Amino acid sequence: MKVTETMIKKRKVKDRVLQTVTLISSSISVLILIMLFFFIFQKGAGSLSFKLLTDDYWAKNYLLDIPAEQTGTYVKPANLPTDSFWSVKYGFAVTDALSHEKQKLILIEYIDPASPLAKMTDASSGPNFGKAQLISVGMQIQKIGYVDINGDTRSAGTIADQNAKTLVDTLDSSALTLNQAYIKTTGGGIRGSIVSTFYLILISLLLAVPIGIMTAIYLNEYAKYNRFTPWLRSSIEMLTGVPSIIYGLMGMVVLYPVTALFKASGTSILLGGLTLSVILLPTVIRSTEEALKVVPDNFRDASLSLGANQAQTIFRIVLPSAIPGILSAILLSLGRIIGESAALIYTMGTFVNDSPTVLTGGTSLAVHIWSLMSGEQPNFALASAISIIILIIVLVLNISVKLLSGRLRKTWQ
Amino acid sequence: MENIFEIRDLDLYYGTNQALKKISMDIHRNEVTAFIGPSGCGKSTFLRCFNRMNDLIPDCRIEGKMTMNDTDIMSSKLNVVDLRTRVGMVFQKPNPFPMSIYDNVAYGLRCQNIKDKKVLDQIVTQSLKKAALWEEVKDRLNENAYKLSGGQQQRLCIARAISMEPDVILMDEPTSALDPIATSKIEDLIQELKRDYTIIIVTHSMQQAARVSDYTAFFLLGEVIEFNTTKVLFQIPSDKRTEDYITGRFG
Amino acid sequence: MDKIVRNHISVKSMKRKHLQDVFVKNLFKLMALLSSSVIILIILFILMKGSAPFLPNYKYGTISLPNFLFGTVWRQDAGIYGVGFIVINTILSAFGALLLSFPISVLTALFIVKVAPRKVASVMRTIVELLASIPSVVYGVFAAGTIVAFVRIIGSALGIVTAGGNSMMAVIMLLAIMIFPTITSLSISAIEAVDPDLELASLALGATKTQTHFKVVLSSAKSGIFAGAILGLGRAFGEATAVSMVAGNKLFGPTFNLLDITRTLTSTMLAGLKETTGLDYDIRYSVGIVLMATILISNLLLNYIKNRIGNKV
Repeated sequence: MKVTETMIKKRKVKDRVLQTVTLISSSISVLILIMLFFFIFQKGAGSLSFKLLTDDYWAKNYLLDIPAEQTGTYVKPANLPTDSFWSVKYGFAVTDALSHEKQKLILIEYIDPASPLAKMTDASSGPNFGKAQLISVGMQIQKIGYVDINGDTRSAGTIADQNAKTLVDTLDSSALTLNQAYIKTTGGGIRGSIVSTFYLILISLLLAVPIGIMTAIYLNEYAKYNRFTPWLRSSIEMLTGVPSIIYGLMGMVVLYPVTALFKASGTSILLGGLTLSVILLPTVIRSTEEALKVVPDNFRDASLSLGANQAQTIFRIVLPSAIPGILSAILLSLGRIIGESAALIYTMGTFVNDSPTVLTGGTSLAVHIWSLMSGEQPNFALASAISIIILIIVLVLNISVKLLSGRLRKTWQ
Repeated sequence: MENIFEIRDLDLYYGTNQALKKISMDIHRNEVTAFIGPSGCGKSTFLRCFNRMNDLIPDCRIEGKMTMNDTDIMSSKLNVVDLRTRVGMVFQKPNPFPMSIYDNVAYGLRCQNIKDKKVLDQIVTQSLKKAALWEEVKDRLNENAYKLSGGQQQRLCIARAISMEPDVILMDEPTSALDPIATSKIEDLIQELKRDYTIIIVTHSMQQAARVSDYTAFFLLGEVIEFNTTKVLFQIPSDKRTEDYITGRFG
Repeated sequence: MDKIVRNHISVKSMKRKHLQDVFVKNLFKLMALLSSSVIILIILFILMKGSAPFLPNYKYGTISLPNFLFGTVWRQDAGIYGVGFIVINTILSAFGALLLSFPISVLTALFIVKVAPRKVASVMRTIVELLASIPSVVYGVFAAGTIVAFVRIIGSALGIVTAGGNSMMAVIMLLAIMIFPTITSLSISAIEAVDPDLELASLALGATKTQTHFKVVLSSAKSGIFAGAILGLGRAFGEATAVSMVAGNKLFGPTFNLLDITRTLTSTMLAGLKETTGLDYDIRYSVGIVLMATILISNLLLNYIKNRIGNKV
């Protein structure tokens, strides 16, 4: 059969088409990654700040009495930002801000230590009545009640539809004495979730790593040629195909009684940690086994021929050599813990807890995102800000695993 | 000349495949016994019987009698770990642990719970001296063992085995991975060591066997064809197959 | 020479060492048994709790199994639980995602292994790894912002009303993105494992590189690529949090309209979890059983197809 010009041309065209399609397909993933990072950074970068990491999530309200000693004039400090407004009469500065729901806020920028606002006491009935309550920079003024020149009680602040400038002007000009203040913290911080995530990491690694390592050692060192070992291995491998939400279901049924032993009730970080450790188990076992396999058999032979028993050989020779592999298993697990959501939604709950303990519920960073997005008004800004933090952590973990496996390959050269 | 090992009718099977057939011999105390023969004929497998290292291989079954100092060492009741402290082994490829020179030699001792630094120092020094390595490493005992040359690493492995004060040292082709100079150093060492230890050596090189051993066994296809003093076996072999092997007609 | 070591070894110390060894071995054995029994515990307990609502004497009132399995309405408030249509919706979304993602993943894998220059390939591999390590909630946020908007635009262009963009199409696109790294990585391994001699033979016969890639390399890597697809499909079935952010949770169905809101098994299990008790909580376990069954059956089906195709070579 003779190969004609047209056949060659046709083939060229076909090839070109296929090549173009291949190129386009490959660029799609690049595009998606860029779009994702772009979207997340754009929505969330504005909310990133040190305060985000240290604030409570839930806003706290304070009803405060202002002490009667209110004489004096106050000097405006030199280093105040230009968009803040200073009250000469009462010694504090405020600025305008917008909440992420686009509501207007008046934030405290600075309080002179001698200002009456620095010495307010709790006015709400209860155990804290009369106790001094410090307020700080960043809190918002909802209302300051005052008595004016005519003896009428009036309100200033966001409640009275004012902004920073009008608040300061009103108080400096019309107010005779200030009597009460209603102050709110801004909330929206993720400190609670950071602490919860930390506890979660601790509990799940503390369980998964030792159990996983011991299982891997048994499978690879003690029971290597045993008849039942393949069965044990496949029942562990099967776990990797189970969706994480199913683990959540399992956790509530199987592990819940364990947490009840520790006096935890309902969803708790402990329960979440236990469930998560089960999810991590196959990964830890597999990575540890890989690391054990790399240790050359002649080390084991040498150790045994010197009169060491198997346990000594494992602890003194095999395990130390397997440590780099085990470390990368831990790093991989860390990534999984931070990203896990479905199983934790069931076992840890979705209520953001500002002071979590191991026995209470809480939200990991990922679950916090879920909580923010599953309400009536999804909070894209905060969710994206937390996503940025998560993405950075995941990036760092990925790089560390890469470096570690590079190091691993070098030690065996 | 007393026997330290007595072997009678030893058979070894890997699954259904018989690797050793009716081996019988006596190993004499404080002498060097060499096993020679073409590759794959069971020499190393037989060597591994002396310290029960074949236990580590799945599907390996041994029948027959092997005694050390009149104790049956094939018995399942035997404390194998203890046996291995009396019968040391040096492997074909030097395999020091990824630790310092000192820790390598002290390894076996520490496994026996000997912790006293002075005792360890004493034994380590003695062992390295006996392995003719002391002068070369005495100033760098804390260096990683991998910094040594191949020949030095092998002598380190010998020192490590010696540290346990064994009665017997098994050597599985100890110089096949080494250069001629390192090889000859170790061959000289073997001559010295036999004063205190019984040595059994598997070697691919007939010349090496002729140089270092007092007794030689010729193995072929899992059987001992001939076993005699080295002088007799090499000069007046009684079996034609032995003669063919020694004169280089095969193997 | 002193026999220092010999004196140190006694029957007692040997015995202690032996006990140590036995203890360690048994402890590790226990751990191994524990690890391998987890899967059984999972299956057992979920089966138990999930089948409870259908058994007589159920605390909150037994419900009928056929109504559950073949039902077409799911209403928490009215106590009607029919999972039938949800299964269909889930299968539609998962296979839709596979259909969308599969060609892109395989071509990307081909590009990385065979076409791209070293440096570009290395960058692309990192990109795939990055995509694989992004948590589902982050994908969910992205999807709820971007994909949903995209669907909204398409909807208005076609003149169809969409529920703000939450739709089956959004779910399919989201899932396609999420399973892409899985299918791609496995395809990469499969393509790398193709014998280079096969390629050389093809080139020597006068085929072009592209022809070789598509006719020889991809078909040799078929079984590994297919395995990747099966794994990806499993992930698509099991993905929960991200999907629930864009699905919309339709109350009845099944829906075959891409732009209509939908509901998957997993989004059902998550919906309204904050305020739920009694039957509504327990029924999620029943849905869980259905989910596992769906994954199992589709795995078996696809493996069967894989073996049939494999034999046809």
